[in-house]
Amino acid sequence: MIENKIKIINNAGLHTRPAATIVKLAAKYKCDFYINKDGLNVNGKSIIGVMTLAAEKGSEVTLTFEGEDEKEASQEIVDYFKRGFDEL
Amino acid sequence: MIKIDSKNTTRKDHITIDFFYEQTKNRFNLKLFTKDQDCNKVIVDQNLHRPGLALAGFVDLFSYNRIQVIGNTEMGYLKILSKDQRKKSFERLFKFDIPCIVITNNHEPFPEMIELADKYKITIFGSNYSTTKIVYLISDFLEDQFAPRLSLHGSFVDVYGVGILFVGKSGIGKSEVALDLVERGHRIVADDVVIFTKKGEGILMGSGTKLVEHFMEVRGIGIIDIRSMFGVRAIRYQKRLELVVELEVWDDNTEYTRTGLDSKTISLMDIDIPYVKLPIVPGKNVTVISEVIALNYLLRHYGYDAAKKLQEKLLNSMKNHSRNDRHVDYFEHDFE
Repeated sequence: MIENKIKIINNAGLHTRPAATIVKLAAKYKCDFYINKDGLNVNGKSIIGVMTLAAEKGSEVTLTFEGEDEKEASQEIVDYFKRGFDEL
Repeated sequence: MIKIDSKNTTRKDHITIDFFYEQTKNRFNLKLFTKDQDCNKVIVDQNLHRPGLALAGFVDLFSYNRIQVIGNTEMGYLKILSKDQRKKSFERLFKFDIPCIVITNNHEPFPEMIELADKYKITIFGSNYSTTKIVYLISDFLEDQFAPRLSLHGSFVDVYGVGILFVGKSGIGKSEVALDLVERGHRIVADDVVIFTKKGEGILMGSGTKLVEHFMEVRGIGIIDIRSMFGVRAIRYQKRLELVVELEVWDDNTEYTRTGLDSKTISLMDIDIPYVKLPIVPGKNVTVISEVIALNYLLRHYGYDAAKKLQEKLLNSMKNHSRNDRHVDYFEHDFE
């Protein structure tokens, strides 16, 4: 299991488009992927789930990967978060 | 089995006085007496307290961090005191960090009480309900607010009045089953993120989130809104969880129930909920099977268990050495 604590850094926060990209990235991998914010734990492969977090700029989320390809998945997805969803 | 760990559960450790007032003013007929209160003060204890002894002077073991309820008894006692004695009594009480005070039975607080409450920034509410009623209402409200909440990934649907939660891997078709059920006249509670709260002993209540309501994602279409598409008959806000159905791709190595004699359960927040594992194979209509699962649950609930009934018949038949004959002994010229 890989766990990453990460901050949302783009101005618009985790809105619909980044949410769609995240689930698209996550769907490529077999591992389970969860995002946790303030105790709300959602499935990172569900777009409604990711949007439910309503993660605004500056908020902190925890990404959890668990499964055979967790390493590759975490690298690609954490990288996308770090790039501010390519909106910087 | 679905995975549940501590990350899925949250629990509020406090609510603010402001939130408490907003949520309860209409339900419990609360009105605000004080003006200069601290709205960000928090309530941390779900129990209530009647401060009779504290008013009379005994403040050892005083549960000051609870909401203080002042009813007929306390008011009756305060009325026989002189104004100075009352002031002293309130001063003694308000020195503690009390979250708020609720006066019941439509009693008006004494002017000196409000004056001192404003000084110590303590909120005083009043209600026309009786003490018994307000204590019950506020306790129930606080119990719900402070109850642990479990967030699960799945689709929650009311099928013939039975609350069924569909769980399973992403993309297995939970939302599609929910949509199909809505089309057949059932009601959806939430899709994707469902939040369950323990209510009383052995009861789990589930609802969606405020943000998502009855929006849903269908692969290939995108986001749709069930309420505006199918109308109010297709939705509900809350439902008791009665069954968990896990959808999974048929696995040759998994054993699936054949008789239904031994029913499985899954433990969610220490409550055992009946659990069915449903393999998906081509040609299997999961929607219809879900309806059958709901109806079978209802039949059992009302005391009829088909598996047990057939087992009974089988045992009887063996005991009586009866021949396993045709259901109809003789087709008496009835060739319909």
